[in-house]
Amino acid sequence: MSQFWLAFGFGLVTASVLAIAAVGLSLQFGITNYINFAYGDFMALGAYLAYFFNAEALHLNVWVSMIIGAVLMGAAAVLLNRFLLSPFARRFSKSFYVLIVTFGLSLIMLNLVYSIWGPNNRTYNMKLEIYKKIGPFLLNKDQIIVMIISVVLMLAIHLMLKTTRLGKSMRAMSDNTTLAMTSGIDTKMITTITWFLSGSLAGIAGTVLGISESQITPASGELFLFVIFAAVIVGGVGSIYGAMAGAVLIGLSTEISAAYINPAYKLDVAFVILILTLLFRPNGVFARPGKA
Amino acid sequence: MAQFWFYVFTLVFFLFDYFILAMGLNIQFGETGILNFAYIGFVALGAYVTGAVSLPSSVGTAQQYIFGFNMPFPFSLLAGGVAAMLMAVVVAFITLRRLRTDYLAMVLISLSLVLYDVINNYVRLFNGADGLYNVPQPMAGLFHLTSNAFVIFFACVTGVVALIMWFVMSRVTRSPLGRTFRAIRDDPDVASALGKGVFRYQLTSMLIGSFYAGIGGGLIIQFGGSFNPSAWLPGETFVVFAVIIVGGVGNNVGLLVGALLVETLLIHLPAFLPDIPGHPGLIEYIDAMVIGVALMVMLWVRPQGLVPERVRRFQVPTDELIHRDGHSVEAPVIDTMSATPTPSAMAAHEGEDA
Repeated sequence: MSQFWLAFGFGLVTASVLAIAAVGLSLQFGITNYINFAYGDFMALGAYLAYFFNAEALHLNVWVSMIIGAVLMGAAAVLLNRFLLSPFARRFSKSFYVLIVTFGLSLIMLNLVYSIWGPNNRTYNMKLEIYKKIGPFLLNKDQIIVMIISVVLMLAIHLMLKTTRLGKSMRAMSDNTTLAMTSGIDTKMITTITWFLSGSLAGIAGTVLGISESQITPASGELFLFVIFAAVIVGGVGSIYGAMAGAVLIGLSTEISAAYINPAYKLDVAFVILILTLLFRPNGVFARPGKA
Repeated sequence: MAQFWFYVFTLVFFLFDYFILAMGLNIQFGETGILNFAYIGFVALGAYVTGAVSLPSSVGTAQQYIFGFNMPFPFSLLAGGVAAMLMAVVVAFITLRRLRTDYLAMVLISLSLVLYDVINNYVRLFNGADGLYNVPQPMAGLFHLTSNAFVIFFACVTGVVALIMWFVMSRVTRSPLGRTFRAIRDDPDVASALGKGVFRYQLTSMLIGSFYAGIGGGLIIQFGGSFNPSAWLPGETFVVFAVIIVGGVGNNVGLLVGALLVETLLIHLPAFLPDIPGHPGLIEYIDAMVIGVALMVMLWVRPQGLVPERVRRFQVPTDELIHRDGHSVEAPVIDTMSATPTPSAMAAHEGEDA
């Protein structure tokens, strides 16, 4: 039983990382209505930018570096949307084209990271924290900080969506872009802000993934991508709260399964859950009507 | 000099092999509109199965793998093709039924990553991260070929296989089946309203395309004698997409042009360049970025590809219509699907939406 609770604790950490990533992907999908297949590489680039400020230049604290990396990734996402993705999305009505462009962008970004930092594993320059027993869980300080960051971000996004004008405009656009436009919402501005948020969340998610796995590799974001997709699809594509719930479900089940099966396959459990969801509830467990 | 011909025929082999791979993805993506981001997974399965059935039993060797039937050449290749088709059946029944294009692409890319993970970790299947090696060279013993002569010989064999598969594919795309595929690509709802079972046709297209993927993969392992996970990273699927988009979606001749430009000139020629001192692998990374950029530029400047899809027009034989006036309704209805000029050159016409 104690093994179960240990795995449960690690599951909460994975769920925290996953929630940040899944919400970032969902926000952007809700607004633009196409999937960003380069999202995993946004995460990797964010993680490496944080590594750059943490270990190569300036030698900042890892959490400060994470924020700088996130802001830079947000800016990169805005620029990529402005000059690459949105021109393609506007020009071609079939979604094939823009999907292939994001797929190509993923190849370019992955190889950019490879050519700057090389294929070897890197670790952040941070003190090794000892694991402490907290209730039934065994966690260290960094993992607790990751969880706190995730909870704070989720609350902030929830408040933004429900109370601010920006959040309401985003929800309106996600429901019906044309109607939102005719109601006087500056859809271009909202799209830009959404891309900034999505890029920043990807940067944060990449860095906390690196911290929780205690290493970063150029392909780590890409290999994590299907776990994010699983969380998003299980939660119901396009739904922010679904993405959060899906992240908790997938995060817990991957880590808890690792206590009972070979841990090498723990991420593949996410895929099994994804397939089961598709077979029995293709719109997602927490689907809202009309979006799939 | 022998070295030179070795290089040339290696390039020739990859030209033909990627022509086959591009035809397989083209019938799925270019003709039917299935965005198969897991394509390289089908290629890899074909390669592994071909290798594993043509190797002798794994007992007593340093490798671990299933099968080990010592199967002779053309049959081992067919086994690879059939294995890829079997996977396509499973994938199609789970994913194709109800999913929109982009969800389908999400599930498929997840599938290829998971497949990668499982084959890497489950060593007993196909020798894990080391991959299969020492796969016997087909027919080399029969004709007493040296390794240089084998390269030339097998490039020619691949050429013959590619020619046969091109002939079959051109028959398929010109048949009513091919017309239905294109109708589904252009608008699945319209095709479905006209009584075409969309899922059944998409399944057929997946099966044909996967067979081509399996054969193309099988040829790679038979040619090089080895295959491991580094040969089929998810980015490889993008290369096949690049071949199709550069050459021209929905055009078999264009695919050969695309294979020549992308696969031969952009991928395998730089592989012969010497490394930049102190930066191992840098050329490879830059090369991959160049391919990505080239594809985006191509997609923007000339979305129909270098050799665009022909706009197929159907002449209704007028005298025939007059003679069977009572039943003439049937013929024109089917014809409109193939003769509508708008859908056919999908790429060419998309630009007007802006």
